[in-house]
Amino acid sequence: MRGLTRLHRRWWGLVFVLPVVAFFATFSVFPVLFGIWISLTDYNLLDEPLWVGLANYRNLLDDQLFLTAFKNTLVFVLGATLPVWVLSLLAALLFDQAFRGREILKTLFFLPVLPPVVVVAVVWRMLLHPNGVMTWIAGGHRGVTEISWLASTTLAPIAMIVVHDWAVVPFFMVIWLAGFAGVPKHLREAARMDGASSWQVFWHVDLPQLRSTAVLVAALTSINAFQTFTLQYAMSPDPGGPANSTLVLGLLVLKYGFQYFRMGDAAAVSVVMFAMILAVTAIQLGFNRRGT
Amino acid sequence: MALDDDKPRVRPVLFATALVVATLSAFPIWFMVTSAFKAEPEIMAIPIHWWPHDFQWFARFREAAAFAPLWHYFFNSSVFSVTHVVVTVFFGALAGFGFAKYRFPGRTLLFYFVICTLMIPFQVLVVPLFIEVKGFGWENSYAGLITPGLMNAFGVFMMRQYASDLPDELLEAGRIDGASEFFIFVRIVLPLLAPALTSLAIIIFIWSWGAFLWPLVIVQDRELNVLSVGLTNYSQPYQQAPMWGAAMAAATIATIPIACLFAFFQRYFIKGLTAAAVKG
Repeated sequence: MRGLTRLHRRWWGLVFVLPVVAFFATFSVFPVLFGIWISLTDYNLLDEPLWVGLANYRNLLDDQLFLTAFKNTLVFVLGATLPVWVLSLLAALLFDQAFRGREILKTLFFLPVLPPVVVVAVVWRMLLHPNGVMTWIAGGHRGVTEISWLASTTLAPIAMIVVHDWAVVPFFMVIWLAGFAGVPKHLREAARMDGASSWQVFWHVDLPQLRSTAVLVAALTSINAFQTFTLQYAMSPDPGGPANSTLVLGLLVLKYGFQYFRMGDAAAVSVVMFAMILAVTAIQLGFNRRGT
Repeated sequence: MALDDDKPRVRPVLFATALVVATLSAFPIWFMVTSAFKAEPEIMAIPIHWWPHDFQWFARFREAAAFAPLWHYFFNSSVFSVTHVVVTVFFGALAGFGFAKYRFPGRTLLFYFVICTLMIPFQVLVVPLFIEVKGFGWENSYAGLITPGLMNAFGVFMMRQYASDLPDELLEAGRIDGASEFFIFVRIVLPLLAPALTSLAIIIFIWSWGAFLWPLVIVQDRELNVLSVGLTNYSQPYQQAPMWGAAMAAATIATIPIACLFAFFQRYFIKGLTAAAVKG
């Protein structure tokens, strides 16, 4: 009898996980496989998909739009990883100190995390108006009254990076702070007892303990950056512009898929993105394994 | 690095540095909120107005609502996000509990199956998912808008960890009293998971509230759009003069729910964000 109820009970576990498994089979795993199949076809949503094999991928290799988007994405990833990593660590070091007024200032610093990315885009589009607030801050004292932040092919990609970094640095600061909190207190105290300076404590005690946090921040910043597109879509007066200087892969998927209805090309671009993100994840896992 | 037993004291250099950093960081948010109460010419005034000289009360908000269905957007975003929160939290906890406390055949395999989906960026899904959902006849409808985000693998992952920590004795006690497994989940497990469920609910709300790509492609009707997509209407290029006041009013509205969550549930908020980051 007891054995029977045991057996009976085990199956409840399956019943409990089934809704979730069925959901992901339908709305995650199937679409990924379906997407790979679409990337091997020409499909415009109206006519039947036409099998073309790897042609879409081969075409990407000399597709100027794709190459531009690929390059822009890499530049964005560069600007959205290393600076964010360093700045968020510095911010965490600052706000990890004990001083009066710290909590309120930390909260103020954290505010950019709250608005959704679209809000960030709209607000910064206003701040970066050619005759707007940022122009006044950057050039007002020199008598400059107009800077085309978002209409210049040099400044626009930089603006995307700066705004993105502004919005995410406080978030990664929180991750660093959580990492700091995980460093055993007694290690620091022991080092202090031995006469280590603050810097020495940080370098020799905290940093080695923070290895996994460091890898995590590096991985998350780059994975997020590879997927960027909302800023480029909503902040630029012309999505991806000017002259495709802020066209990133995420935006290209949208353009090919939902503007030109070239579903095969859109799917191929997204598969390339997926491969890049998986590579980053693999590198992260590799680093973590070597660390333990 | 300060030792943790240091009492907070006045440290002018640190305070000044932190003040500058915090001001730079918070300024755009400050400017957004104050501009929502400014008259249109004041927003672009140089030198800037830190505070509205001619305080407009809700005029900009009314303007925003007159130009586009702002309250409709807000309602749609609320339905979208709250549905996602409720369904994700319930089924996430149910599945997490199932994975943590029952040894059924295929458990490990199914768990990896769910966890693998965490690695899929949404851009990879958007094209095939659009075609699939269109095939269901759900294009341009609440069903199409809401369904693909109803569950979240991160929720399952997080709940499994918390459910593993629950003592088996509690479940056994319930069983001795003759409770069914589902009853045990609802009456014993869910209340014990409440703090973790709160963090999960907050993080899911933030994600759903800010969701942009899927609502953008699946819905064409203005009346069905969510706030994040609707917001872009206020600064569209074909507008003769962008209505910055209305845009800032709408942007403020879009930020308020998350700001409230942060204000009232700060601890869970930070916990949820951190947990979501460390998932990998």
